[in-house]
Amino acid sequence: MISAKPKGVIHLILALRDIHKSFGEKKVLTGVSFTAESGKAFGLLGRNGAGKTTSIRILMGVFPADSGEVLTDGRPLDHKKVGIGYLPEERGLYPKKKIIDQLVYFAQLKGMKTQDAVRACDRWLERLGMSEYRDKRLDTLSKGNQQKIQLVTALAHDPEIVILDEPFSGLDPINAMLLKDVVKEEIGRGKIVLFSSHQMSYIEEFCDAIAILNKGRVAVTGDLRAIKREYPRDRLAIRSPEAGRIAAAFPGRTEQAENGELILKLESPAEKMSALRRLSESFDIDEARVFEPSLNDIFAQYAGD
Amino acid sequence: MEQFRKILKFELKGYLTNKVFVGVTCFLVAVIFLVTFLPRLLDFFGSDDTGDTGEPPEEREVMLVSGGDESVRTALAQAFPEYEVRLTEGGVKSPVTGGEAACAVELRGLSDFTYYVDNLGIYDTNAQLVAEVLTGLYRLAALTEAGVAPERAEEILTTEVSFDIQSLGVDQGQNFFYTYVMIFALYMVILLYGQMVATNVATEKSSRAMELLVTSADPTAMMFGKVTASCLAGLAQLVCVFGSALLFYNLNRSFVEDGGILSLLFDMPPSLVAYMFLFFILGFFIYAFLYGAIGSTASKLEDINTSVMPVTMIFIAGFFVVVFSMSGGSVDNPLMTVCSFIPFASPMAMFTRIAMSHPAPWEIGLSVAILAASCAGIGVLAARIYRVGVLLYGTKPTPGQILRMLKKAKN
Repeated sequence: MISAKPKGVIHLILALRDIHKSFGEKKVLTGVSFTAESGKAFGLLGRNGAGKTTSIRILMGVFPADSGEVLTDGRPLDHKKVGIGYLPEERGLYPKKKIIDQLVYFAQLKGMKTQDAVRACDRWLERLGMSEYRDKRLDTLSKGNQQKIQLVTALAHDPEIVILDEPFSGLDPINAMLLKDVVKEEIGRGKIVLFSSHQMSYIEEFCDAIAILNKGRVAVTGDLRAIKREYPRDRLAIRSPEAGRIAAAFPGRTEQAENGELILKLESPAEKMSALRRLSESFDIDEARVFEPSLNDIFAQYAGD
Repeated sequence: MEQFRKILKFELKGYLTNKVFVGVTCFLVAVIFLVTFLPRLLDFFGSDDTGDTGEPPEEREVMLVSGGDESVRTALAQAFPEYEVRLTEGGVKSPVTGGEAACAVELRGLSDFTYYVDNLGIYDTNAQLVAEVLTGLYRLAALTEAGVAPERAEEILTTEVSFDIQSLGVDQGQNFFYTYVMIFALYMVILLYGQMVATNVATEKSSRAMELLVTSADPTAMMFGKVTASCLAGLAQLVCVFGSALLFYNLNRSFVEDGGILSLLFDMPPSLVAYMFLFFILGFFIYAFLYGAIGSTASKLEDINTSVMPVTMIFIAGFFVVVFSMSGGSVDNPLMTVCSFIPFASPMAMFTRIAMSHPAPWEIGLSVAILAASCAGIGVLAARIYRVGVLLYGTKPTPGQILRMLKKAKN
């Protein structure tokens, strides 16, 4: 595990409260609120132009909100005390400069002393398997490797809040796995990790809580499992070699899911036990459970027009 | 402040390790080395050629003289030690075109002659010199004929009026050269480095390093850090170039002809050098801030050239006012006086007036004060434009849009 100076693990609650923002006549954010906390990953979802990047920039203090607050533990976020690491969606560093020089530069801008910055950057380069490129120019690296270098700028100064905008795009499976490990470590170290991504599988894998933005408004936010549970539990997902027979036994009430499961629509949630009994008695059932929507389904419902 | 220091250091390192920057500086120093050491080198090789005996070189070109006697030949030989002067009875054109003689003088009496040469060089003043020699001979003959003793006649002809010039103000003839060089240096460095700031900002924006920078550093610190770094780089280059020039000149002082261009160039008063640095720094900052702000509004590097045009135009206009006033000989004309208080022109205009005239101390003070205040104002404004500009991608914003955004950012 990478550890700069082990900071005392501070438990933080980060909250955006009723953020409004317009650019000229264009209203970009309308009453955006959500809450994320230490040791957990938070997924910020939404289609292109939904207001994710604007929310992130307000959170980082790049420009102020027209109204609303960014709070940590109930007090306005103090950028001098709470460090933020950011991996922007639009990647880019200085292509012509030596990698270690620019990494140290960015770490210094975040307030690190030169010696500490060099040490932290070297440790991260090693952790990501990039030590051999330390003294190379950035533009000599492949896109995936450049992205790993950029990741160092988000993490080297050991920030309390890590914001990763589309972190997995452009990474091969091996590098994606490496990044997953790093993200898990950061969550394990009590960081608030804020994800913004269109790749739902990753969000589903990491995030305990989400917010889906739609045209500058929060369409839904909260604990991901709770959101899923809010859906009526009136469908069963069945895995069985006798799917055809089951479908025939429940005419008009079944549909085939993309993953091969058979979805059986119940007349009401109360029918669950009797339906399960009937299935297990009459058919060869590998698996049967209450169907929960995937994040994809939720996204399609809330982020659509 | 800490961020400003870090940014300054990073940017300055960028300049000082830039191969083009180092290369150009070394090249300029090498050129100055050559120019200042040239008199010494010429002297060194020249003394080898001619020796110390004062004898003319053995292989000399031939100047033919027809229609004259021995006294004419002797007088011409004295005036043209580099030629072997020969009398001839025959024609003079064919030896000149044939290459046996370099040139020829065909006399029709002492007051009329034709000078023949194959190709007439632009610096060929032989005919004028021959005319002078012949005028002397003619007058001497006329005076002797009129009964004046030859010694007395020679005395009359060689008398020269001695005179002395004492300038009580500044000598514009002398300081024209170094003022011109300094103004030109100001012009070049401000334009070059100013545009470098614009390109630098636009590069960060187009490479999207800006995304990270704006979330890591305060835009005011960024702007001042960048501009200060390029100012220091420009100063370093100026100091290198002018410093080495002064050093080389002083090493070779004894070889440099008094009153020659080199001595005119280097005999500048130290106070003027101090003024030059002052006006360089202030002028540089005011333009670099503008260039930086413009750079931040461009999305692509290609946009830079057209975007910076208005600012460059203002600067060039100021430069031309100064240069035309200098060559017109009146650096205190009304236009120059006005320009020396306008921040965008005053670095060059006021500097020129200080160098070539005597502006009142209050004028200098006021000019510097206006310039410094404008610098601070434009610096803050530029940082605001920068903060707004760097996040704009896509179409280039119009000045009106930028103003509206600035107003909004201020509220």
